[in-house]
Amino acid sequence: MIQCDNLTKRFGDFTAVDHVSFSVQRRSIFGFLGPNGSGKSTVIRMLCGILEPSDGIGRIAGHDVSAEADAIKGQLGYMSQKFSLYDELTVNENLLFYAQLYDIHGAAAKSRRDELVSLARLEPYVDRRAALLSGGWKQRLAMACALVHKPSVLFLDEPTAGIDPVARRELWDLLFELSSTGMTLFVTTHYMDEAERCSHVGYIYMSKLIVCGAPYELKTLPAVNPPGTRRLEIGCDHVTLGLRAIRPVDGVRAATVFGQTMHVLVEQALPEDSIHETLRAVGIRKVDIRTIAPSLEDVFVALTHQHAGAAS
Amino acid sequence: MTLRTPKFLRGFRAILYKEFITIIRDRTTLFFMFFPPLLQIIAFGFALDNDVKHMSMVVYNEDRTATSRQLIDAFVNTQTFRVVKEVDSLAELEAMVRQGKAYVGLDIPPDFTRKIRAGVKADVQVLIDGSSSTIALQALNTALGVALHQSIEILLGETNRRELPVEIRPQVLYNPSMRAPNFFVPGVIGTALQMATVFAAAMSIVRERERGTLENLFVSPMSRWGMMLGKLVPYLCISMTMALFLFAILRWVFFVPIQGSLPMLFLSAFLYIFALISLGLLASTKARTQNEALQATLAIMLPSIFFSGYIFPRETMPWIFYAISTVLPATYFIELMRAIILRGAGFMEFWRHLLILAAMGAALFSVCALRFKQKIG
Repeated sequence: MIQCDNLTKRFGDFTAVDHVSFSVQRRSIFGFLGPNGSGKSTVIRMLCGILEPSDGIGRIAGHDVSAEADAIKGQLGYMSQKFSLYDELTVNENLLFYAQLYDIHGAAAKSRRDELVSLARLEPYVDRRAALLSGGWKQRLAMACALVHKPSVLFLDEPTAGIDPVARRELWDLLFELSSTGMTLFVTTHYMDEAERCSHVGYIYMSKLIVCGAPYELKTLPAVNPPGTRRLEIGCDHVTLGLRAIRPVDGVRAATVFGQTMHVLVEQALPEDSIHETLRAVGIRKVDIRTIAPSLEDVFVALTHQHAGAAS
Repeated sequence: MTLRTPKFLRGFRAILYKEFITIIRDRTTLFFMFFPPLLQIIAFGFALDNDVKHMSMVVYNEDRTATSRQLIDAFVNTQTFRVVKEVDSLAELEAMVRQGKAYVGLDIPPDFTRKIRAGVKADVQVLIDGSSSTIALQALNTALGVALHQSIEILLGETNRRELPVEIRPQVLYNPSMRAPNFFVPGVIGTALQMATVFAAAMSIVRERERGTLENLFVSPMSRWGMMLGKLVPYLCISMTMALFLFAILRWVFFVPIQGSLPMLFLSAFLYIFALISLGLLASTKARTQNEALQATLAIMLPSIFFSGYIFPRETMPWIFYAISTVLPATYFIELMRAIILRGAGFMEFWRHLLILAAMGAALFSVCALRFKQKIG
């Protein structure tokens, strides 16, 4: 449904997106991850046909996004990063405006509005000005507006940034609902738990796509699980202290804090006893060690390190 | 089923719908569109009245005869001067003028009557405060006129001729009372309309660019003509309403009679506003921020004030300024206003100006629609 082939964008000397290639299957939820300024929004803008690529081709449903912008406009919905609805207009008026923008008028526009209001559960706020909605409801309205013409692909640029956890959960429920109707979703996010919910994820770092695939595939990558190593989750009472103690230990490849625990990549040969010993030496008593599969965050951390190492 | 909108008009109805709601709800924009022009016309209409009347004059009459009194009366009868004080020394006279208590000081020497009787030249000294050139010029001209008039009367008495050899009977057409508002207010309407209209139009797109709503419009199948027309129509309506207010003030506050046809007056305003909005939209296709839009507006505004013939006559301008004036919509509109309001000119006499304004509007509008790229960056 979405295809990028060496998609590149340069702004002067700066390369914001560097030969990015990937494809997204119809009906999937594609999570696009990466730190701020890594080029996520730039990719979305190029795919939406509002930013000319410097090089490479982006395709939506087989149409070249820069040469056939008109052909794709009816098929894609776009919810931009900044809240970009009209503050002076009410929920109802914003929806009617977008309907008319997509050439839906009169009774058709009103019935489409009613469908979207009930889909996004905006009923209590129909006559409220957009400016007066809270963050989560603004996002719902923005999404409803982006859906007004029943697009087959929906791009969402950080839809959950800055909204509360409940609203975030509800927005994702809505995304799954849309996906079940056959829509292809392309979502950028910072949250790893959101990435875990996607059917496919891509990770962009320093303008380059580092990895792309289904989460379970990524977790079995050799770069993430080097042969002869295992990943341990170590629960203890002074995590930061423990981290400092364990990093210099021979046979520890990498260690990061994960909430109240540490995720440590160790060589198979390293006995658990030596970990216990090291931690006891710095005064940590309660230690709980188990072997785990890598999380997506482990995957991205490992790949980022590998990429940074290759670059330098 | 509704009919599909032709491709080039796509998005027009949506933008129109949204703009009208936004403009009506956004009270500050509405206020800033209406308030400055109204203030401008009222302030300029009154302040630019440069007919100087009854300026204060202080007199030092050393002669104190019937003849010298007659001279003072002659000054007062012009209605340009009024005597605020008679003083007893030249020093006091000079002090009053210096302190700004009087614009003019009149010093009649003690031998004034005697010299006239003797047929010798009698000198009268007039001190004029030159710090305001308009006032000084008028005082000077009137004083010279009084002197000439008095001299001729004395000469007439000596030659037995009862009438002046030459008399000019001037007839000032179209503005018989030579009132300044009649001349200035049509020009004020031109500049007042311009400031508000260009600025509002320029802001309307820049604001969307800053807020990020423009990005969503670009993703939609909206055509650029649809977008530009959707922006044009609401602002055209608002500015026409404002023109209506301004004409009403002209007629009923400044009592400037409108000699020509009202439909022509509104047609002129319509074409002028069309050109102005197109100019504003053109500025907004380039400007990234509201600040830049404001600067662009001022860049158009300033030459319009100086070179459009609003204050200074175009005919006496150096060629470069005259050339600038020919590309300003305000130039043609102000000339149209004077032709229609003051001279009551007919269509055949000013159709060229209408045509130029229409062509300017159409050209600017097309350029801004064609230049408007539905891309960012």
